[in-house]
Amino acid sequence: MDRDLPNSSCEQSIRSSSENPAEDSLSPETLASLRSLVITPSTPDTTISSIFQTLTRSLQLSRDPLVLHHTLKLLSDLASYRPSLSSSVSELVRSHALLSSDSTRLAAESLDVLASIAEREGTPVDLDDRSFVSLCFGPSVSVRSWLLRNAERFRIGPHVLLTTFLGFTRDPYPYVRKTALDGLVGLSKPSVVEDLDMIQACYCRAVELLLDTEDYVRSAAVRAVSAWGLMLVAFNLKTKLYWSDNLFVKLCSMGRDMSMEVRVEAFDALGKIEIVSVDILLQTLSKRVLGTTKEMGSFGQCPAAEVERSASSVAGVLVHGLEDEFYEVRKSTCHSLRTLTIISAEFSEKALNLLMDVLNDDSMFVRLQALETMLHMATYGLLKVQGTHMHMFLGSLMDGNMSISSATRKILKLVKLPNLETFKLSVDGLIDNLERHPQDEADIFSVLFHIGRNHGKYGVSIINEVFEEMEPPSEGKLGFDTARVAALLVLAISAPLSHGQHACNIPPIIFSYAVTLLGRISVALTDVMNQDTLLAYLSQCSRSTRFSAMEFNLREDKPHLPAVTIASLSHSSNEINSTVGSPFQQGEDGAANLQYQAIREPMEVASLHFGYPLEVQDEVIRSMNLILAKVKDIWPLIQSGFTNEVLRVLRSFKEELATFASGSLRFVGDVAFALQYLQVVKQLAKVWEHFLPARKLCSGMGELDIALGKLETSLREMRSRFTGLSLKQELQILELLLLTFTLRLSKVESCCQVASLKKLSTTASHVESILKLGSIEPSNFMSEVSKLSYLTRTSSFGAPCDPFLFKELLKYFSLEQFVVFGTIGHIKAELVVPDNDAENHLPFVPRLPVGIPCEITLHNICSENKVWVRMTMDDESTQFVFLDLDHFGSSDEVRKFTYVVPFYRIPSALSFILRICIGMECSFEDVPSVKRYGGPDRELTYLCQEKEVHLSMVGEH
Amino acid sequence: MKARQRGSQKEIKFHSMAIECLVLGAGQQVGKSCVVVSMNGKRIMFDCGMDMAYHDHRRHPDFSRISEYGDFDKALTCIVITHFHLDHIGALPYFTEVCGYRGPIYMTYPTKALAPSMLEDYRKVMVERRGEEEQFTSEHIVECMKKVIAVDVKQTVQVDKDLMIRAYYAGHVLGAAMFYTKVGDSAIVYTGDYNMTPDRHLGAAQIDRLQLDLLITESTYATTIRDSKYGREAEFLKAVHKCVLGGGKVLIPTFALGRAQELCILLEDYWERMNLKIPIYFSSGLTMQANMYYKMLISWTSQKVKETYSTRNAFDFKHVLNFDRSMISAPGPCVLFATPGWISGGFSLEVFKQWAPSEMNLITLPGYCAAGTIGHKLMSGKPSKIDLDKDTQLDVRCQIHQLSFSPHTDAKGIMDLVKFLSPKHVILVHGEKPKMATLKGRIYSELGIRCDDPANNETVCIPSTHHVEVGASNTFIRSSLNPNFNFSKMSSEDESDSRLKDGKFMPWLQVKDERAAEGILVEEKGKRAKIVHLDEFLLMLGEKKHDIRFAYCFPINTDNLEDTKSTDVSSSSNALSVSGRSSWLPMLYIKLSDELSGGNIQYFGEQIQVESFSVSLCLKDRCPYRIVDSPPNKCEAVFFCCAWSIADEKLAWKIISILENRNYGTL
Repeated sequence: MDRDLPNSSCEQSIRSSSENPAEDSLSPETLASLRSLVITPSTPDTTISSIFQTLTRSLQLSRDPLVLHHTLKLLSDLASYRPSLSSSVSELVRSHALLSSDSTRLAAESLDVLASIAEREGTPVDLDDRSFVSLCFGPSVSVRSWLLRNAERFRIGPHVLLTTFLGFTRDPYPYVRKTALDGLVGLSKPSVVEDLDMIQACYCRAVELLLDTEDYVRSAAVRAVSAWGLMLVAFNLKTKLYWSDNLFVKLCSMGRDMSMEVRVEAFDALGKIEIVSVDILLQTLSKRVLGTTKEMGSFGQCPAAEVERSASSVAGVLVHGLEDEFYEVRKSTCHSLRTLTIISAEFSEKALNLLMDVLNDDSMFVRLQALETMLHMATYGLLKVQGTHMHMFLGSLMDGNMSISSATRKILKLVKLPNLETFKLSVDGLIDNLERHPQDEADIFSVLFHIGRNHGKYGVSIINEVFEEMEPPSEGKLGFDTARVAALLVLAISAPLSHGQHACNIPPIIFSYAVTLLGRISVALTDVMNQDTLLAYLSQCSRSTRFSAMEFNLREDKPHLPAVTIASLSHSSNEINSTVGSPFQQGEDGAANLQYQAIREPMEVASLHFGYPLEVQDEVIRSMNLILAKVKDIWPLIQSGFTNEVLRVLRSFKEELATFASGSLRFVGDVAFALQYLQVVKQLAKVWEHFLPARKLCSGMGELDIALGKLETSLREMRSRFTGLSLKQELQILELLLLTFTLRLSKVESCCQVASLKKLSTTASHVESILKLGSIEPSNFMSEVSKLSYLTRTSSFGAPCDPFLFKELLKYFSLEQFVVFGTIGHIKAELVVPDNDAENHLPFVPRLPVGIPCEITLHNICSENKVWVRMTMDDESTQFVFLDLDHFGSSDEVRKFTYVVPFYRIPSALSFILRICIGMECSFEDVPSVKRYGGPDRELTYLCQEKEVHLSMVGEH
Repeated sequence: MKARQRGSQKEIKFHSMAIECLVLGAGQQVGKSCVVVSMNGKRIMFDCGMDMAYHDHRRHPDFSRISEYGDFDKALTCIVITHFHLDHIGALPYFTEVCGYRGPIYMTYPTKALAPSMLEDYRKVMVERRGEEEQFTSEHIVECMKKVIAVDVKQTVQVDKDLMIRAYYAGHVLGAAMFYTKVGDSAIVYTGDYNMTPDRHLGAAQIDRLQLDLLITESTYATTIRDSKYGREAEFLKAVHKCVLGGGKVLIPTFALGRAQELCILLEDYWERMNLKIPIYFSSGLTMQANMYYKMLISWTSQKVKETYSTRNAFDFKHVLNFDRSMISAPGPCVLFATPGWISGGFSLEVFKQWAPSEMNLITLPGYCAAGTIGHKLMSGKPSKIDLDKDTQLDVRCQIHQLSFSPHTDAKGIMDLVKFLSPKHVILVHGEKPKMATLKGRIYSELGIRCDDPANNETVCIPSTHHVEVGASNTFIRSSLNPNFNFSKMSSEDESDSRLKDGKFMPWLQVKDERAAEGILVEEKGKRAKIVHLDEFLLMLGEKKHDIRFAYCFPINTDNLEDTKSTDVSSSSNALSVSGRSSWLPMLYIKLSDELSGGNIQYFGEQIQVESFSVSLCLKDRCPYRIVDSPPNKCEAVFFCCAWSIADEKLAWKIISILENRNYGTL
């Protein structure tokens, strides 16, 4: 009852105002009470609609900007609390033509109302480019910066936005300049701008603003310079290094800015540069301008006149960054070193000297980042630790902060120590660490084991030195309780697993000592072997080193864990939890009659099988698998239709993956595979949009068919363009293909039902045949599909069946995680037609065939593959030429050769353009074969981008 | 005429004076800093230091140069002191209490707090130890400090109606500041001593990007470039750690303020991380008192100290204990801070005598030791014996570690600061002459900024900014509120200049917003000068806008044109051609389009327009713009009249040469 009172009084006031149209402005009190009515859910609809009318009148009649402001605010509230009214509100605001009123401020406010309503409903605001720009050009600065900040909400054409933003970087008001720069950063995508002049204009304008008087403009300028500079760098391969150097120097010059934010931005941006001249890079580590620079007179790609200025702005910038007053800057500098150290080995060696000193930093964050950078360097094999580093480096083992010492240990696991002395120091450091922090025992044991394995020779020589110490007192019971002895035991037992022949030098008795610590050691070595394996290994070694030594010597180029029978882990069936017999099984006594689970992680299988250093692979491959695991987790998002979120997340994964590609060549295939997979998931998400229950489709049905077609092509590529796929991986791809066909079949409107059904059943039978091969469990979806497909195959009707049945199948599907092992090769080709571009044409003589000289590089293609060169003219007439691989190089991994491709169908024209491309025949049974005279028998998968070749008649230009 | 619009400021004055800079001290030397700057009628003295190397009148700046009759109150507007070091403040009590200056003195809070004890110490040394005649008394110091107005960092102080000063953080020592000074439109920065790299207890110098006419900067290390501090810190820690692990004692002789705190923070941090339990001692009472100052003046310390302040005051040293004499010979490792830094006497000498003979111990030395001190002897080579005085000789077997931390910026830092501020002019003080000359050259060659290094008692005059500021009409202000940017493409002609201007890359496409330069300055008799909008100006004059246009009339050989017609002009142009003559323009159009890449060529039927250039058929018999008479075969030549405005002159001649060339080519 009490609550009704104010309500009724309010209604009174509304009524009075509605009865009295002359009173055209609402008092602040009335507005406040209206607001309370609007936000109270229990207010009856009739009251709400009369409020709406009151507000409508106020909007139409009032001239007072303050009242109009509040009215708009209330209308916006009304729309958000009463969704049913939102369309009328937006109609009202739009029709009232506030957009064209004299007050740009009110216009902006009404736009805000419209935009927020539109965002809730998922429809665009129809603000045309012209009115947006004219509002921007109004005199009100706050409106201008609001509009620029919110431009994205109005879906203004990117080209209009680009010019507007670029123009407003000249605004006298610094905040507008900053907003404009931020806007430019948002537009720095190759999809928006293709024009080199435009990119250069934006870049140079941002560079000018690096000298702005306001801190926040400068820091926005750094972001913009970085974004547009990277665009310029990527624009053209020929000028890549020039612009990269230019960008690098520009960013370096901001490393000594007085504003901390600017410096952080500058160092963050430096970390994004992937290529830069080595002399510039080295200069960043020396505050003195280096002699070589002066003598050579050239500095990176700088013109001579610029050399001195550039050199002095680059000089010592990273040193300054590392000794900055603010930990944010120091941390950012350490982080940027991750990418920069990859560029040059000389640089990375020098940078390491600095990084080691950073371990003495007073901020934990900085120390941790320095260690992470070192770990990164170690992963890429760039961590060249020297004797002089050891004091600082091992000092971090003693660090009171747990994360610092554990990060240090992680590096120790990977590091390659140069000599016995440093090895001894490290082992001593670890033992010291163990004595002080016994709670870290497992981790320290694990490091000792790895470090011992990585440096077998040094380990053996240490053990032999201290062997006496490890012997138990002659009469007493075994006393391996001291941390030191335990640590040395762990070190000792790692030796037989290292490379080389030093293993036999370890006294066998040590292994039996180690058995007494079995529990403790096995806890530490969970990532390498389990307790049973360890026991078998120890007892084997303690019985006869000679025997074990022989065993190991035999396998020198093979894996180092004796407990695993490699033979049974064949390439294609590396199934995870299979029980594997031990080599000792056929052995002498019952004790060895053990059966045990050898391996838990597929990663280890891979590393064993291919003999890669376990840890290096670990880091890159593990990170990739982490990403792939996360991809699996977004399946529910796709299902619930959060397509935009999914696409954004996928984009970020893609960027993350791309960083691996830039670093190491070894896993190029796996990275490409993972990227392709992301592409598939992206297309799947787009397809799935069409299968959501409440989807209002504004486009024709053709869209779905196109999307499905793209998905299928991507999957086909995934299947055909990679070598070294495991059966499991192949099955997963096939499952996705099955899904694609099922999706197609479950839409009534979709065309080509018969063809799809046929494809489905071939794929399903292929799946079955793979399942028969190995012990892989089929997923629910697979088994359901094969059931249905079996039904359709055997049913007497043979006709396409009910889409509904297929739709039902979709329920069973869920994304499974792909796991990569570092084994995948990417089949690809590079094709270059030298000295040919729009200016330089190849000559031809009319009516005679012309030879097109091609420099071709083929990756991972074996001689069984059939490779074709396809040449297409503008009229789509096509000619194929077969490449007989037996003639070109013997290596399957990379073949590089020059081949003159003949082209016969010379048109009668003065000049023409030929699009040329390399393709490989697919060898899958579900691929329909195509019969072309003189062409490939099967569908081609294209292995490179199409190249344009310009030809013109002899004598013509 | 261009004018600068400055916000809503409408009231403006006329100044035309130069900035005059009289160097009374620290000109081409390190010592007694004192610079008197006159700008726009104000006279400011920066620092009032004394030179410790002299004991006669030369130790003070020559104040008579400020005012012949000693009327300093009139001659100086104020004094600004940058920090408490004696070479910056030493002569202040003498100047105020003995010479009688009574005007305002500005310094930062920490400087005001620490200066009296520094001055008092100095006075004691002078009078009590050396027995000199005293320059000023304790009362003088007290009286002098009463005249001081303390300022905070980044606080803007309006000294009087025209003079504004603002302090910026300078690093160097606790409370050191650079001073920004502005009178009217002339603005300068005087740096005092500063440090561009942070240390463990003080931050790096920090200043805004200001519009400056002049920067007066110290140049102690005008040619030195220092490596990263990290390396030196690591060496120091390694040496200390090694020594105490071996059971040795470490003696760190320092002065009370600054270095002691920095090293102590460094050690504390290391002790903490490495979990060391070895005691650290502070010997002198003054050091403990100095620590107290640091604790109070936390806001003047480094970022790290400030950040951790809420949890722990970095100057509450956890591992530091008080020392007493009996501990000198106590067994076991320890670290001891003792004054004075040069081991010239006092407690540090006492301890040195005890500890030097053992090779287990370690003595660290500061970066600089005055000649004649023990510290200096230890620095020069590694002597095994040292003569303490005539009779006593000391065996020195301990290890010696030399520290090289300096609170001054190095040459790179000076260059970085100058580059960041980009003043119009630089004056170097507080440095050694030959080194300053080198730096001066670098500043000019690398940054293109004029630079002076005056000697003592020299005056440097530099032109100051000459702003004529005037009232602005409302139309003008309104017109400058609306954005007015436009894009321009560089014409293809500039291509040959390879787009590099003054070593800078110029993109094809450039954006300009000219609104700040659109006004017109009007000075009417008896009225204040005023900036008005162009339209307003025409209205005021009652005139119309005149454009200067150039015109030129020239013949083109029609034979030649006929040729073009037959090949290039297809049937589409026939619709235009009524007679033969009317089709010539389209032909010109085609030719221009072919040869003039990029330009915006428009065809309007009667004329062709490229930017402001227009060309049309000249039908007059005697055209006033016709310079060349008819070509030999008159009947076959057609005259064309063209006109353009001055902005497009280059373009115009290019077009004309394109059109004419063809003509002459056929002749």
